[in-house]
Amino acid sequence: MGFREMNSKMIEATVVPGQRLYSQRGAMLAYKGEVSFTPNIQGGQGGVMSMLGRRIANEATPLMTVEGSGTVLFGHGGHHIQVIDLTGDTLYVEADRLLAFEGTLQQGTMFLGAQGGVMGLVRGQVTGQGLFTTTLTGHGAVAVMAHGGVFEVPITPQHPVHVDPQAYVAHHGDVRNKLSTALGWRDMVGRGSGEAFQLELSGSGVVYVQASEEKL
Amino acid sequence: MTRGCRPQGRVRVGSTFGLCPLRPPGGYLHLVAMFRLQGSKVLAVDMTGDAVKAKNGSMVAYDGQMAFKKLTGGGEGLRGMVTRRLTGEQMTVMEVKGRGTCWFADRASEINLVDLRGDKLYVESSNLLATDAGLRTGTTFTGLRGASQGNGLFTTTVEGHGQAAIMSDGPAVVLRVSAQYPLTVDPGAYVAHQGNLRQSFQSGVTFRTFLGEGGGEAFQIRFEGDGLVYVQPSERNTIAGDL
Repeated sequence: MGFREMNSKMIEATVVPGQRLYSQRGAMLAYKGEVSFTPNIQGGQGGVMSMLGRRIANEATPLMTVEGSGTVLFGHGGHHIQVIDLTGDTLYVEADRLLAFEGTLQQGTMFLGAQGGVMGLVRGQVTGQGLFTTTLTGHGAVAVMAHGGVFEVPITPQHPVHVDPQAYVAHHGDVRNKLSTALGWRDMVGRGSGEAFQLELSGSGVVYVQASEEKL
Repeated sequence: MTRGCRPQGRVRVGSTFGLCPLRPPGGYLHLVAMFRLQGSKVLAVDMTGDAVKAKNGSMVAYDGQMAFKKLTGGGEGLRGMVTRRLTGEQMTVMEVKGRGTCWFADRASEINLVDLRGDKLYVESSNLLATDAGLRTGTTFTGLRGASQGNGLFTTTVEGHGQAAIMSDGPAVVLRVSAQYPLTVDPGAYVAHQGNLRQSFQSGVTFRTFLGEGGGEAFQIRFEGDGLVYVQPSERNTIAGDL
């Protein structure tokens, strides 16, 4: 299975019986074959408790379940799409950036305070992620949307990477992130360089960065 | 780009992907930050302790050690600061200094690399993303051309030896102008130009324009001389476009 990139803004997914797919509601562009789209009130996997969790965490984007046999084209808002293949590790991404993902992946919600305590919460507020973020774990493919092209920066223990919070898209692997500030007196008097806050990612993994400072 | 790399006649040079290495006549006198494009929308700069000037807030990621400092008045001193205030060509520039790779991008605009070898680049301050720290920036009067482009009477100049990155809405084409081949450009699609060029303002206003039946191409800029003009596949809103 997996996703095939038609061009930079469109992907094609093959749907086979017995394997379901989740996608953002309204992101289907065209399909071939017998495919059904059912709105997913719960907004993803898990039971009612997961749904409640997502509602409270404000990570509940309208999702739909795609089942049947055939091929489906996905795209949304002319945004660039990056397909990420996961092999057992966890992808951290904002729910509204998720275009589609395979049902083999385990969806979850993570409290940012769980990683870095109070600084984690501050980080969420600064980056506009809120207090929670969505995680996807397991084996399968994910399609993530970004404004402008996406490029990946590998993170190795020797080379931590700093990312502008607004340009951050997603990351996976064994990565610790923390908000690093470069606040100086210049920022206090309104003469900052515009790079006062940065996400510092260290460990080993990959971070995806978009070529723009605009949110979706 | 070296002389030998430049195609003869008017040829679409395409995006200058840094194909020809930058080599000032006197050799490397100081450390030069290496500009390269990653895709068409991201600029990667490899630095080894040297500095670049970039648009405020355009960094998207970096590895290694970097320091960001805002340059008040675009790093042109008090006089430059006052000039920029007066001409409306304000740009907020930061100096990035350090070791490692720094990635720059701005609103998913396409990026073009420009190699300067002692010549002057004329570009709108809003279209300038990054320059080598060794390049001098300033302001210059453009006259009617500026007014017709809808971005004021003044423009920014960059001169010296080094690389600069300019932004355009859509991938820009680089058109060569030589003595035999003058070039006429729509003011709304003009991005930048470099080299020894004279520009004149051309008007195609006829009685039809006044009747509201104009072709939408009432004004053009004509370039003569020897140099390169960067044109984007998109038109800003200008007075000329409405006529």
